[in-house]
Amino acid sequence: MNEMGEKVVGIAGVPRWETIEAYLKDGYTIIDLDNPLPGASRDERILPRIYCPILRRVAENAFHLSRSGKLSLVLADVGEGKCDGMRYLASEFELAGIPVLAERNTNMRGAGFPISVSDLPLRRKMELIVDTVIKPLPPGLKLRRTKPCCGFWGVPPYDFDILDLFPEGTHIYGWTRCMENKTPADLSLELSVDPDVPTVFFAHSFCQKTALAYNLARRYQGLFVEVDERLTKATVAKIEAFIKFNVR
Amino acid sequence: MKRILLDGGTAYTKVYFLDEGGYQIIPTRRFKELRDDFEVELATGYNVSSYPRRVNELVALAEGGFALIDEPDFTLLDCGARDVKYVRVEGGKIVEMDWNTECGAFTGQIIELLTNYFHISLDKVPREAKRIPVTCGVLGMTKMFDLIAGGAPYEEAFSGFLKGIAHNCFLLVNRPRKLYLSGGLCENKAFIESFECSVIPLGRFVLLEGLKRCYFRKGGD
Repeated sequence: MNEMGEKVVGIAGVPRWETIEAYLKDGYTIIDLDNPLPGASRDERILPRIYCPILRRVAENAFHLSRSGKLSLVLADVGEGKCDGMRYLASEFELAGIPVLAERNTNMRGAGFPISVSDLPLRRKMELIVDTVIKPLPPGLKLRRTKPCCGFWGVPPYDFDILDLFPEGTHIYGWTRCMENKTPADLSLELSVDPDVPTVFFAHSFCQKTALAYNLARRYQGLFVEVDERLTKATVAKIEAFIKFNVR
Repeated sequence: MKRILLDGGTAYTKVYFLDEGGYQIIPTRRFKELRDDFEVELATGYNVSSYPRRVNELVALAEGGFALIDEPDFTLLDCGARDVKYVRVEGGKIVEMDWNTECGAFTGQIIELLTNYFHISLDKVPREAKRIPVTCGVLGMTKMFDLIAGGAPYEEAFSGFLKGIAHNCFLLVNRPRKLYLSGGLCENKAFIESFECSVIPLGRFVLLEGLKRCYFRKGGD
């Protein structure tokens, strides 16, 4: 329990559901540090300016919660399901006095990915998948599988506005699909695409996944885009042009 | 009021007159004074966010390439005042494209500034100068000034700088054997000859050709 009497666990990446569930049963509030947090602001004392924007956000959120006395613990996946950066950051948290439970989620029992292949708008799909890390799907939600006309490969983006550029019928691939499947370390699933579906391979700048995105885009004649935080005009233009000339 | 298609660049605005046909290049600052004289039917470029009907520059470039290049495979590079962009087409399909807007001093404007500052005649730029490594226009300029400070003639240092920029462009488009070039630098012979591949200049109206293709396909009269 923290000094405010609240019990908050901040998670990073996709820790094992069993661990998250145990904290929920103990009455903890779970906050996903990968997502925007009201009140947390840019803080360049924590990490270099040139760094993965998601890890910067995790760090800023964690320190913000810690400084305000709300954070009991950071539960972080520091293994193949996340990245070396998170492992280093977890050690930094510990040095700064923030309790960390570091684990490696190597689960390979797939829970399925009906949201990724459903007919929902891409932004809604992404919101739901991100939410599934800490809570079940909304009751009554109906997911109808569609045939893909376009693909979005990658992690949940720092700036969700990129998702609004995609047409209806866009399927989700890559690590986001692994997230939904509860198998964040499943590289085989992460590399799976539909070769005939025009796909945008997205990665954050300064993330190791740029190598995967770059080479998959070359292999499947998709579009590689890397984005550091917010969308640029050039990235918007590239995606719009790719969709215009490739999606029927 | 004249109906036009508009390519609104940073330094120059290019227009196509829909009713009488024909093209015109107008300095962008001047065009801003004249804009009420025109009815813009379709626009592309950096300075066109106020116009309701727009086509993004990569789409305009690709459409321009399809309009002007009668080949199934080609690489088309547009070097503008403040950015470079390209499309690569194979079998009539776009397989690669990119747009570098991050380094504003990358291309056209800095070449024009240097040419004017040193009063360099492009005919006198030596072709055999050694290439300067150019990370971007600004950093390349520092190396160029180092050469000049060391006693190199302006034209020789400038030639090395041009080669550095051409080399960057060549790498950006993945080293094609033949390159189609659009934009203001099509008129710069020294720049064209600085490339390590065959360069075919298409002139300054490629994006307008792309706009024409988009406009008339959508049923403009």
